[in-house]
Amino acid sequence: MDAKTRDDLLGLFQSKLNEAMRFYLETCTRCGTCTEACHVYASMGQVRYIAAYRHEIIRRLYKKYFKARGKVWPSVGESKELTEMALEELFDAAYSCTGCRRCMLYCPFSIDTQMLMSIAKLLLIGAHTEPETLTMLADMSIEKGKSIEMFKEGFIQGLKRLEEEVVAKWQMEAGEAVIPVDVEGADLLYVALAGAHSIIPAAAVFNAAGEKWTLSFFEAVNFGAFVGDPTKTKLILERIVNEAKRLKVKEVCICECGTAYRVMKQLSGKQPFTVSSITDVHARYLKEGRIRLDKSKFNVPITYHDPCQIARNGGVIDPPRYILQHLTDDYRELSPEPAYNWCCGGGGGLVALGDETHDFRMKSARVKVDQVQGTGAKILTTACENCHAQLSDLNKHYKMEVDVTFLSSMVADALVPA
Amino acid sequence: METLSYIILVPMVYLAAAVFVIGTTVRLVNIFKAPKHPTTLQIYPAKKPAWLWALHDTFLFPTVRRHKPLLWVFLIIFHACLLLLIIGHLELFGDYPILQIIPHEIFLGKGMVGLLTALSLLYFLFRRFRSPVRELSVPEDYYLLILLFLVVLFGSQMDWARNWYYYDGMTVDDYRTYLGSLIAFEPYLPASVTESGHSFMLLLHVFLANLFLIFFPFSQAMHAFLSLPMNKLRRG
Repeated sequence: MDAKTRDDLLGLFQSKLNEAMRFYLETCTRCGTCTEACHVYASMGQVRYIAAYRHEIIRRLYKKYFKARGKVWPSVGESKELTEMALEELFDAAYSCTGCRRCMLYCPFSIDTQMLMSIAKLLLIGAHTEPETLTMLADMSIEKGKSIEMFKEGFIQGLKRLEEEVVAKWQMEAGEAVIPVDVEGADLLYVALAGAHSIIPAAAVFNAAGEKWTLSFFEAVNFGAFVGDPTKTKLILERIVNEAKRLKVKEVCICECGTAYRVMKQLSGKQPFTVSSITDVHARYLKEGRIRLDKSKFNVPITYHDPCQIARNGGVIDPPRYILQHLTDDYRELSPEPAYNWCCGGGGGLVALGDETHDFRMKSARVKVDQVQGTGAKILTTACENCHAQLSDLNKHYKMEVDVTFLSSMVADALVPA
Repeated sequence: METLSYIILVPMVYLAAAVFVIGTTVRLVNIFKAPKHPTTLQIYPAKKPAWLWALHDTFLFPTVRRHKPLLWVFLIIFHACLLLLIIGHLELFGDYPILQIIPHEIFLGKGMVGLLTALSLLYFLFRRFRSPVRELSVPEDYYLLILLFLVVLFGSQMDWARNWYYYDGMTVDDYRTYLGSLIAFEPYLPASVTESGHSFMLLLHVFLANLFLIFFPFSQAMHAFLSLPMNKLRRG
């Protein structure tokens, strides 16, 4: 690696050194309490997947270039030079970590592994060795934000076909507003994913609840966050913030996508609208009696997988359980404490990388499979696109023989006509 | 030998104290001066009041209790003893009525405090020889533990001799004379401190302790100051 590249990369490193990051880099005592925290270590048993080991890969570079000891006494902390090989190690650490932050429940100092891995991800971008797919997807999202007028017509045409499906299945009156778009003054802006499964059931429930809603032109997912690019994350986020402001909505509701929800909820700053997840909103409709569900629709044991970014890292823990009370009498918890739920193994961009990471995702999530099978449930439901994709892959690979579903689809399917 | 013991007991102590105080302050100021993280780093479900739970996390190590119970027992013993040792050393500087709320002899604990500290340090050290903690450790971790163990061992020897073997060649008053003179910046070494049968232990104890204080601001020992703000981040 030439000096110029290294300096550029160290500049990127420096840009990440805020107060919290310095805490995390200075404090680890390498006590090993986090050993069993990571699902990858728990499934594969290799030391390099222990949270503290991952941290140390970043910390060794920090000690080399940002602490006096890097010059005075490099061996005391095993400082390490930033080389091509070091980049490979960073890749291995960052793209085997799903950013689930379960290890924060083990660390006596609550060191945030996801934060530390964000340094690795940023350095990989700087060195152009990040997974290209993710950058490409992020760029496409940003491009769409810039030239929305070009996409608008095709999008609205596509929705027409979806509307027919909604009408056919839920026998609503076909009106103009089955899937409303671009409605100024609506109460709620729903941000979906690019897929019918994320729009159709949601539309059915919003309409059943009599919500004054409008569908966003943009998809919720934030590939900028997956690849760890702060600038792109912000640009992708702002498309939605701007749309919400333009339409003067009171609430932005994010579809079943963990990353999108956490980014929107925590990174959008103070805005004239509130941010909620679709699970929040459905639970609220039930509480207010705006929708009713038929409990006899699913007559098998059901378990719910808490998406890390929505539950442990986003705080939406009770609403899905409230919804499930209205869907079944045989609900089974995956983990006695939801905060300790194992990650599905697909976060941090791993699922988005598809076949590239398939083998690793299957091996690294064995504990998840054991957990699901331990409940004896026949339906495994969740509220995150990533989790759903990964759990479906696990279901096939390990022949779990469960139905992997979206919670919002279950709500839509069990709707009792008013 | 006289010169050497003077260097260790006087100028090196000043140096160590200065590095410890200034180094720690400068490093902490630098860390806290850095911009705050823009988003919450909280873990849910949240418990209120967050600051109280952060204190709980910082001083009682509940995560270790849950996941590594044996380590937790030794950690609690070690840190509690550390507190008692700090009190014990403060009392070697002078009389503080507030520290005598529960009346006790100086040095408190009848030698048991040092013994327990030394044993827990041995436990911390030996568990680092085993996988997977071995693979996580860096030399710093071993150096610190060995250094602390030796500091505690030589320090405790003096205490044990007085408590268990009725040795009285070096008394609390002798320490007070020596440490008091350092505080007053009029260093004075009584003969009982430099020429008694236990002087070499004092010398080693102070020498190693100086090394520890000098290394402190640059090492992971800074967790003593950073643990609370970090746990506050998790608690929101």
